[in-house]
Amino acid sequence: MTDQTNVKLRLNNSELWGGLIGLALGAFVVWSGLKLRLGTINDPGSGFVLFYTGLLMCVFAVTIIVAAATEGGPTFGSRWKDARWTKPLLVIASLIAFSFALNPLGFLLSTIPLMLLLLRLIDPVRWSLAIPIALLAPLGVWWVLKRLLLIQLPSGILEIG
Amino acid sequence: METLLNVGHGFGIALLPINLLYCFIGVFVGTLVGVLPGIGPISAMSLLLPITLSGTPESGIIMMAGIYYGSMYGGSTTSILVNIPGEAASVVTCIDGHQMAKQGRAGPALGISALGSFIAGTFALIALMLVAPSLASVAIAFGPAEYFSLMVLGLVVLTFLTQGSMAKALLMACIGIVLGLIGLDSITAQPRLTFGRLELIDGIGLVPVVMGLFGIAEVLINTEQLIKRDVINAKITQLLPNKADWKASAGPIGRGTILGFFLGILPGGGSVISSFASYALEKRLSKTPERFGNGAIEGVAGPEAANNAAAGGAFIPLMTLGIPPNVVMALLLGAFVVHGVQPGPLMITQNPGLFWGIVASMYIGNVMLLVLNLPLIGMWVQLLKLPYNILFPLIILFTIIGVYCSSNNVFDVYVMIAFGVIGYFMRKIGYEPAPLVLAFVLGPMLENNLRKSLILSQGDLWTFVERPISAVCLAIAVVLLVGPLLPSFRKKRELVALEEGA
Repeated sequence: MTDQTNVKLRLNNSELWGGLIGLALGAFVVWSGLKLRLGTINDPGSGFVLFYTGLLMCVFAVTIIVAAATEGGPTFGSRWKDARWTKPLLVIASLIAFSFALNPLGFLLSTIPLMLLLLRLIDPVRWSLAIPIALLAPLGVWWVLKRLLLIQLPSGILEIG
Repeated sequence: METLLNVGHGFGIALLPINLLYCFIGVFVGTLVGVLPGIGPISAMSLLLPITLSGTPESGIIMMAGIYYGSMYGGSTTSILVNIPGEAASVVTCIDGHQMAKQGRAGPALGISALGSFIAGTFALIALMLVAPSLASVAIAFGPAEYFSLMVLGLVVLTFLTQGSMAKALLMACIGIVLGLIGLDSITAQPRLTFGRLELIDGIGLVPVVMGLFGIAEVLINTEQLIKRDVINAKITQLLPNKADWKASAGPIGRGTILGFFLGILPGGGSVISSFASYALEKRLSKTPERFGNGAIEGVAGPEAANNAAAGGAFIPLMTLGIPPNVVMALLLGAFVVHGVQPGPLMITQNPGLFWGIVASMYIGNVMLLVLNLPLIGMWVQLLKLPYNILFPLIILFTIIGVYCSSNNVFDVYVMIAFGVIGYFMRKIGYEPAPLVLAFVLGPMLENNLRKSLILSQGDLWTFVERPISAVCLAIAVVLLVGPLLPSFRKKRELVALEEGA
């Protein structure tokens, strides 16, 4: 890797950030374990395993941080080099929007737009094909689940579906 | 004689029309996900896990098992014809399989792959039948200390075999344990890490975690690249290998079968590592190693036999000890638990119909796979032409439905989306999800056995060292943990490291 893609103690070193997130998580788990009661070695409490697992997490995270500081690591930019990074971001945004819409709008009204979005976002499928697929796939699934398998799907405030 | 009677009883169950149907669905879906790059057996099994709830435990497990070994068959088709591995265990098959296809020998490559898989799969089943009951009778004597150490070993082996930094893999395993402990403490009934959410009292479900980390994250990763497929368009003729092909392949199939079976049994091992090991072995034993990489049939026969034998071998620790050796088996354990069956040393005696029914169904499944993969090869080739921009949205739709149906709870859909996004970023910065998932499943059992051992031994940590099986497992785990600090050992690890632990 070049200097542009492999950096040591720089803020865009992805390994460093991975280790720091791991360390923060480990510290949180240690704290949660302590809060839950450790117990004793012959009568371990609810927080016993959590506490020691948290400690191990901290050790591994520190190892990652030390390696990132001494050996360097790829930058965030290089991780997404030559990748169409906007595509997964758009899919993630669609999924988050869908998760907010699922309960209030119900299965059908949230899934049909999600399908249409995904069909047009990933590698655009032509409208004449995207619209029928976006309509028929959720409707088909809804029909099988609701009518054949009698599984109740969220119907939302409008009670559609 | 007793074994034969048991097998007969098993066939009685496996040949019931409903079980035959489930077996067919399993091997069909398995071949389908094996053929389609980007979707692996883990995603498919988690997707179909809720469907198994409506049937008997036998039917559900028969279908899930069928998906696993079916995907091993199907994965080779894509490797040979498109040069993209259908699933992780078929990566090696690309090397020589696709070269054979380019030279106009796609038929024999597909044929030897299917027939080699069939032979290896059948051997693995016979061995499973003979080994599992004996091991189960030994495993009855296992105490919590042995179980704890075995699970530690399984996790360490998997982290050792995971590609990239071992510290990262171990961190992932620890996170998996913590996630597995969310919910009520099984001993004190105290809620842990629930943040006051009622939905978390029962813990996080396996299905949304796996679907998110493997299903959604896989789609997200795949959307980054424009997937180009170089499908061999020539008509595939003469699927049966000729005499010379058989002569060249007999040894690799035999060796691959034995190697794969034993590597499959090992915790953390599995189909991927066995296919790589078989390829390396064949190349080393060959008088003409330069042919490897240029269309050597031995490079297809050995690894394909090995990955199928490993798929059979992996059932042994699950069925006899109740410990899943890899992520796929962890999902199968989830399926057992969903049906109220606890796999372990007592399962064979308490639920003989279930055990022998599953074993017998695998024989039937192997025959079905031979039919699906040889005469119907044209259908799978057509499937390879299905556009990904239509397939990916459909996969997302089915994952949403699968997760929702497993619990009838919208919260699980949120969990899946969250794990999908986390899984995508994890993979981008080099953190593999396999150790997390295995640790997630093993976490509660690991904690339970650790606490039981400490209570029984009155806090004496020597209990883990004084018991021979436990001591051996821990000693191997320590070697694997400390070993990568030595440069020569680290190089060996990098050679065998897997992209995914499945």
